[in-house]
Amino acid sequence: MKNVARIIPCYAADTSGVCSALYELGGLTVVHDASGCNSTYSTHDEPRWYDMRSKIYISALTELDSVLGNDEKFISDVVSAAHDQKPEFIALCGSPMPMMTGFDYDAVAAEIENRSGIKTIALHTNGMNSYIDGASEALCEIVKAYAEEDQNIVNGINVLGLTPLDFTLGSDKDIRDWLKYYNFECVCTLAMGSTLDDIRRMGSAALNLVVSQSGMAAAEYMLKEFCIPYVCAVPYGKLFSKKLASHMASLIRDPLNFSPFVLPCDGFPEADTVVIGEGISAGSLAAALWSDMKVEAKPLCTLPSHSFFTAKCGGQLTAEEDIEAYLKETSPKTVIADPLYQYIVPDNTRFIALPHFAFSGRCFQKDMRSLINKNIKEYFK
Amino acid sequence: MIKIALYGKGGIGKSTCTSNLSAAFSKLGLKVIQIGCDPKADSTINLLHGDPVTPVMDYMRIHDEEPDKIGQISKVGYGGVVCIETGGPTPGLGCAGRGIITTFSLLEELELFDTVKPDVVLYDVLGDVVCGGFAAPIREGYAEKVLIVSSGEKMALYAANNINSAVKNFEDRSYAKVRGIIMNRRSVENEEEKVRAFADKAGLEIVADIPRSADIIKYEDMGMTCVEGDPDCETSKRFIELARLLMSEDKQDD
Repeated sequence: MKNVARIIPCYAADTSGVCSALYELGGLTVVHDASGCNSTYSTHDEPRWYDMRSKIYISALTELDSVLGNDEKFISDVVSAAHDQKPEFIALCGSPMPMMTGFDYDAVAAEIENRSGIKTIALHTNGMNSYIDGASEALCEIVKAYAEEDQNIVNGINVLGLTPLDFTLGSDKDIRDWLKYYNFECVCTLAMGSTLDDIRRMGSAALNLVVSQSGMAAAEYMLKEFCIPYVCAVPYGKLFSKKLASHMASLIRDPLNFSPFVLPCDGFPEADTVVIGEGISAGSLAAALWSDMKVEAKPLCTLPSHSFFTAKCGGQLTAEEDIEAYLKETSPKTVIADPLYQYIVPDNTRFIALPHFAFSGRCFQKDMRSLINKNIKEYFK
Repeated sequence: MIKIALYGKGGIGKSTCTSNLSAAFSKLGLKVIQIGCDPKADSTINLLHGDPVTPVMDYMRIHDEEPDKIGQISKVGYGGVVCIETGGPTPGLGCAGRGIITTFSLLEELELFDTVKPDVVLYDVLGDVVCGGFAAPIREGYAEKVLIVSSGEKMALYAANNINSAVKNFEDRSYAKVRGIIMNRRSVENEEEKVRAFADKAGLEIVADIPRSADIIKYEDMGMTCVEGDPDCETSKRFIELARLLMSEDKQDD
């Protein structure tokens, strides 16, 4: 029974990743699933739900629709809703049932686009993967659809992979402030605090900053299509964020010296502090703990991560039993992770809670803190 | 690349036609992949001299995990044809259509086309277009043309009509189009007239006329295709002619 989570929860699903990534962009996001599932996707996993409007719809798929293959009903409902709501674009994504019946998102998206005249994006989620997969595809497709070549902004930065599933609300402002402090110009924070117009201007940036794995596919695309290099890191702490800013400035000056990873992840394989979480975030926090506090820490990625992290960091473990066994075997003195991980951490280990919305949802939302360009000594004293 | 799906009533000779067509393409020097999309997993048996390939679904059932190499779920048969079978669930359980979709996703992940670099891909699909899974071979990125195998028997023509209608339903989507009918003769009275009447009414062309021949059974008993057993016999010539026709059309399309 591999990959069964008996004690800890699983991360938000790929469908939630799509909804979160597209929430602020003015599109009509349609999840092909049974009625009522909107609350699972957009209220449990969406902290903006009560304060910010967004056109997140559920198709209200029924058993008969599935059995009979009533694609026409889905198509006409979406076209009708689009005529009422007049969205900037339409995004389709799915759940386990359409996956089982072989629903063809690409063909249906093409039909909807033909009938509605509105750009329609097919996103191939099935509710079986983590939010990283959904957010990653959504952000990449939206960049493909809207980013344009533009006049270069010398110190222009796009921030990729910024969603509330990984970052506290207000993180977009923290990153903008940090960029401004170090004389960068923020072009787009994808996808918190930005609009489709910001996305259209993304081609003008000199550098992409990837703050979570959700932004990696878009960064790879922009490297290939726009020749914009990228760096993977979150500006946590004061000294690490300063170091990161310096690395970004040198990369802009010398883009041929392209090195996307600035984390000293492979520096402390024997570290007795383990940071559990999303790869780039956990790696950046480990880097910040060293830069700011001279604490040796190593990240443990519990979500799909770039091979850099799986090869050089503490590793990638996604199954509860593997994570539990790793912690038992390595007996770290300190574990930094979402509070719900506490139940599989050995008893004699010091545990520092760092709530992660994609893991524990609203349970510990009030305890979430932004560590972006902040003095982290207080938090981890 | 030539990408064709063969559909037709159960037992009408789809696998026979597909594997003879594969053998004919390979005889003309092309690199071929044949993918059997039938839970019975017997599409490629006559390209493999009776030594079957492990179907994808069987591999997953036995190993409880996905294969990570093409070689684990394929075998090279006559003329270098790469043979793959989707297989299916335990009879009476699961979902065969979903099995086809799962197999196709897996073949994409394993980068089958980039690895083998085929000139021709043939999909041999079970009976009718009965659900989303069995329509998967005609979706964008897979087959571009459909060949319907039919004899002059009433039920074979009935199935051919259903298949043609099903494919037409997807006209708004970038799915494969029906290229024509392979008339696989079964010694039915007035067979050609009957098939031609259907073809005319449906606006389809008969692209090949395969004679009723003892050669097919003779060589199948020996675990091979007619094209391999006797490339000069009339049946083999018809398949080679069809392969030539499809090759020339592909060149024109390019």
